[in-house]
Amino acid sequence: MFVQIKNLKYQYSKSAKAVIDNFSLSIKKGEIVSILGESGSGKSTLLRLLVGLEMPSSGSISINENIIVDRHHFVQPEKRGIGIVFQDYALFPHMTVTKNIKYGLKKMSKMEKQKRVDEMLSLISLTEYQNRYPYELSGGQQQRVALARALAPAPSLLLFDEPFSNLDAHLQIKIRSELREILKHTNTTSIFVTHDQTDAVALADRIILLENGIVGNELLPSELESSNYMLKYRTGLRI
Amino acid sequence: MRLIQQAKQKLNIWVLLSSVFILIILLPTMLVAKHFFAEPNENWLHIKEYLLLDILSNTLVLIILTGVLTTIIGVSLAWVVTAYQFPLRNFLKWALILPLAIPPFIGAYTYQGILDYTGIIQSTLRNAFDIHVDQKYFDIMNIGGAVFIFTMFLFPYMYVITRSFLANQSASIIENARILGGGSVGTFFRIVLPISRTAIIGGVSIIALEVINDYGVVKYFGIQTFITAIFQTWSGMSDLESAFKLAGTLMVVVILLLLFEKFARGRKRYSYSSTKIKPITPKRLTGYKATMATTYCLAVFSFAFMIPFIQLVLWTFMTYEKIVTVEFFALIKNSFFVAAISSILIVIVAVIISNYTRIYQGIYTKVIAKITVLGYSIPGAVIAISVITIFVGLDKYLMSIFSYFQMDPIIVFRTSIVMLITAYVIRFLTVGYNSIEAGFEKIGNSFTEASRSLGVSTVKTFFKVDIPMLKGAIFGGFILVFIDILKELPLTMLLQPFNFFTLATKAFRYANDEMVNEAASASLIIILISGICIFFFHKISEKGSGQ
Repeated sequence: MFVQIKNLKYQYSKSAKAVIDNFSLSIKKGEIVSILGESGSGKSTLLRLLVGLEMPSSGSISINENIIVDRHHFVQPEKRGIGIVFQDYALFPHMTVTKNIKYGLKKMSKMEKQKRVDEMLSLISLTEYQNRYPYELSGGQQQRVALARALAPAPSLLLFDEPFSNLDAHLQIKIRSELREILKHTNTTSIFVTHDQTDAVALADRIILLENGIVGNELLPSELESSNYMLKYRTGLRI
Repeated sequence: MRLIQQAKQKLNIWVLLSSVFILIILLPTMLVAKHFFAEPNENWLHIKEYLLLDILSNTLVLIILTGVLTTIIGVSLAWVVTAYQFPLRNFLKWALILPLAIPPFIGAYTYQGILDYTGIIQSTLRNAFDIHVDQKYFDIMNIGGAVFIFTMFLFPYMYVITRSFLANQSASIIENARILGGGSVGTFFRIVLPISRTAIIGGVSIIALEVINDYGVVKYFGIQTFITAIFQTWSGMSDLESAFKLAGTLMVVVILLLLFEKFARGRKRYSYSSTKIKPITPKRLTGYKATMATTYCLAVFSFAFMIPFIQLVLWTFMTYEKIVTVEFFALIKNSFFVAAISSILIVIVAVIISNYTRIYQGIYTKVIAKITVLGYSIPGAVIAISVITIFVGLDKYLMSIFSYFQMDPIIVFRTSIVMLITAYVIRFLTVGYNSIEAGFEKIGNSFTEASRSLGVSTVKTFFKVDIPMLKGAIFGGFILVFIDILKELPLTMLLQPFNFFTLATKAFRYANDEMVNEAASASLIIILISGICIFFFHKISEKGSGQ
């Protein structure tokens, strides 16, 4: 398996209950996995643990057979090679689109960097917007730039935190299919966390249900509609 | 193993630098604590028996009366300006902040000059109307006078904090009270005052700390307080031990005040909120009510700014030929130089500490943040005697090294400006830190986290992402610190090198030598620069907060 998460646990020092408890997951190279759960279920904490912004209480994570965290190792976020697209995109407002995308490129000549930026711009169809600042772009365009910025350094794993929550409904539909296409085209292994079933169904190869930090059922997108999760959701019960 | 991992993750350049800075900030307090508990000398026993009670009661009376009056004036003005529309409101809304540009000691000698026998009021009464009034009616050089001066020049702290609170936090509550039929006065006493409690307590504690720290007003008016007593025991009697004991007692008062603030506030905090809550829609006043509102605001503005300002302008015209010489320009240069260097240092230290406290969470970072914020509570005179003791100690150490190598001993620190700048950094770090911390809070952590996830280290992220995005807050912090240092008196008086004067210390020296008119030019420059900075700072920060 390309990504291996084993028995991951995270608990705040003053809290009696773990936010993430005994979480295990394996992901194949190029697979898109959606983690679906209500707010407070531990989705965002899971992403922060993967990217290295929090340290787990126990458990291990390895990518491509390299251990990035376990009892003896802790690789800093900047050295993990994991990209993340934040809910609010976090595009650097003082940099143009080009500079934002170029930001994470290292160990490349100037020409190679520019080539990579051009590739990314054409991938997200925003070549003509390269010299604009983030505030000069629409929500959907900002989302695509955030994706290009995260994809540019070719991360081994790409994470998305509620990627569509800031977009209008009609934009969400358009961007979802675009995004899946781009990720499949670049063969990028990805994890989405979301509370929106439609996002999960439209994007993922596989859906993991998360309840109070614990892995619930694992489903194919086609199975979600008839699952217990949807039944409880429709009847207004918490899963 | 996890502990070692955590330690490895937490040990970095930010924690090291922040810890060093915090140690420097803590040094004065530690030194005061050490001397406070040392064996007392005879002088201290004398002070304790005959002076301490007077000093304490004077200080408390000044704090309480100023606190009450600034609350009445500050809160009422904030309410009137926020809730009502009346002639000149837009001008007065800003103008009422301007008294902050006048350091209270300048206000003190200006009012004394206006009211004394040769001042404009008495000479007009005598020359134009042949009225001779008993001098006692014009005597403000007493506790009542000091309270008047502090109230006039410190109330804007209360006004700014409460106005910001009322404008941002409470629109729906106040509008509901109006809809439910509460009259203006009823709404003010039953709704506005109670909900502004946290803002008022915040304002009172800032004002109390300013009163405690004051040297200029009480010295000029001849009122014995802790600060004048510290000056006297140290400069006059060369008794450092007793000065430290006084400083220690004063720190106890300050700690009690901070505890009172914490207790009175409970879990609530006031804030210059930047959340985009709908501001109160001001109600239009007409007729006599509108006239009363304008008159009230104008009257306070006149006493707290226009009258002393005009008097200073007149005195400047009378004396500028004698005063504005090459030496005067050297004064301006000195003031700008120390204020600029210290402000730059403060901003650098503040940015480093606040970056550390926001990225790395935990008990240690919380302690560091708390200590940084407490720096402003330590009165200038207390910092001054501690800093001088440390630097004299360093000089002694250096001299012993020089003599060991058989070199001519020289005094390096005691006579240099380094001592003064160090003391400024300790005293005003809080001001810079608050501004930069607010800036960091506004931009949040996701940009830094995004940068790190793109493979960029925290140090590089700091320069490429954090600093460019913090430009506004850094500039704001710099301006606030700069004007505070420009106006500063007690610290500068005690630590300025021989023959080195700033605009503030020169103005005070002139006034203290009965040359009030000559003090005007230096004072006017302080007021003009501070006034412009304060005006633009508040205008910009209000614009930024979406009001």
